[in-house]
Amino acid sequence: MTKKNSLDIIYLMPKSLSLFFEEVGDTSRFAGRFLREIWFPPYEFKEVLRQSYEIGYRSLPLVGITSFIIGLVLTLQSRPTLAEFGAESWLPAMVGVSILREIGPVITALICAGKIGSSIGAELGSMKVTEQIDAMEVSGTNPFKYIVVSRIVATTLMIPLLVIIGDAISLYGSYLAVNVNDKVSISLYFQQVFEKVQFSDLIPSVIKSVFFGFCIGLIGTYKGYNTKKGTEGVGRSANSSVVISSLLIFILDLIAVQITSFFGLI
Amino acid sequence: MSFENKITDTVQTSNYNSHNENQEMIRIHELKKSFGDNHVLRGFNLLLNKGENIVVLGKSGSGKSILIKCIAGLIRYDSGSVKVLGNEIKDLSHAALDDLRVKIGFVFQSSALYDSMTVRKNLEFPLRRHKLKLNQQEILEIVKSTLDNVGLLHALDLMPSELSGGMRKRIGLARALVLNPEIVLYDEPTTGLDPMTSKEITNLMLNTRKKYNTSSIIISHDMHCAKLTSDRVAILSDGICYAEGTFEELQKSKDKTIHSFFL
Repeated sequence: MTKKNSLDIIYLMPKSLSLFFEEVGDTSRFAGRFLREIWFPPYEFKEVLRQSYEIGYRSLPLVGITSFIIGLVLTLQSRPTLAEFGAESWLPAMVGVSILREIGPVITALICAGKIGSSIGAELGSMKVTEQIDAMEVSGTNPFKYIVVSRIVATTLMIPLLVIIGDAISLYGSYLAVNVNDKVSISLYFQQVFEKVQFSDLIPSVIKSVFFGFCIGLIGTYKGYNTKKGTEGVGRSANSSVVISSLLIFILDLIAVQITSFFGLI
Repeated sequence: MSFENKITDTVQTSNYNSHNENQEMIRIHELKKSFGDNHVLRGFNLLLNKGENIVVLGKSGSGKSILIKCIAGLIRYDSGSVKVLGNEIKDLSHAALDDLRVKIGFVFQSSALYDSMTVRKNLEFPLRRHKLKLNQQEILEIVKSTLDNVGLLHALDLMPSELSGGMRKRIGLARALVLNPEIVLYDEPTTGLDPMTSKEITNLMLNTRKKYNTSSIIISHDMHCAKLTSDRVAILSDGICYAEGTFEELQKSKDKTIHSFFL
């Protein structure tokens, strides 16, 4: 097939489909540029630290509260079903496995996609339309490194940390919920949890959280950095950052489940 | 040694050619830039000499902002030549372009102040990022003296959101001047301001020229500003330099296109 014929296929596609592939191509190029530029100086350590504080520390209350409620609600909702089979004693182990393997990373990533993804998309979008990115360039700064690389690195490092903290808070919420009906000491509760949860359960969960964090940072910065059409575009960037990164989190989770089951880690 | 001299000395040791015998600050030859089928610049020519102020007039969307972004190296041009202080912009490496930009101040249409930083941090940013080997005290002195020159020393610790439109423009100008540039590029400096503030900014531009001995390209729609600040006026129409001359010469022209700007 000649090059001209292969191009004909693109022209025969519905416009929305070709726009989708264009977007995928542009995002991949953007990710490629990130992976190229991250290795070479100047390194923006200060900005990475500042972003880690903004992204990690400032998200902690929201992640903490939602994780606590999830742990509490999951336990309260699961108890009647397990009670029907007389298997209440399995409650800590069941909730522990659910939270550590699946619910903790996905819920935390989704919350961060909403909070951090939209904030990055809107901030960079507004910087773009008000020429702040150009101003940075004339001030002797590589804006891609200063505002894109630093944010992607910060989300990639901070989301796994938030997931681990969120998991711990969830388990504490679950412990309190167990104590609504039974008197169980915290040491006994965690002993029951870790009877069924191995340290190896945590590794795939942390690895996928790293990819969730990368994806939130990548989509937020890509959408913000390429904002067009003024303030209307800023809103669109913020919105599409959340929608696309949330969707990608589910897709990555599906892939992660397939990989872990392939290697017999489930 | 004064702070201005210290900045200049640092730049002398940099990657670009700082030797410019002809006193030609900017020479643009047959500059072309297109975005897809939209041919914005179709062979634009312009010469800016030392100490001169040129106002570029043109309709909205005629490519005036693209022109000065090509000069500052923010947009890569398709063909032609843009020489700033004798250096061809598209031939410069990133490092050399950064060094050259110390000599170019850029005043953005929207002021482009960093929203997350105070006025002080906004002015410190180019001084720190250009790695001029200045200590904290020297940086603060430069920032204060530059703010004093634009009459906004009291705004040192304010956030951009606390500033009026006129104040933002002044701070934008101060940020462009903080590196003591030889060339200042103004992108519609009086757009969106009331007549009084517009007049103040125009006077500030004239004072800047005297005090900093700058050469400028001023993109503007404001004929009052153009009349007061220009040594020469260039009219950008259909992507080329349609006409060039003093404000008075062009004002007297019988050509319809030129005349339409002076109605």
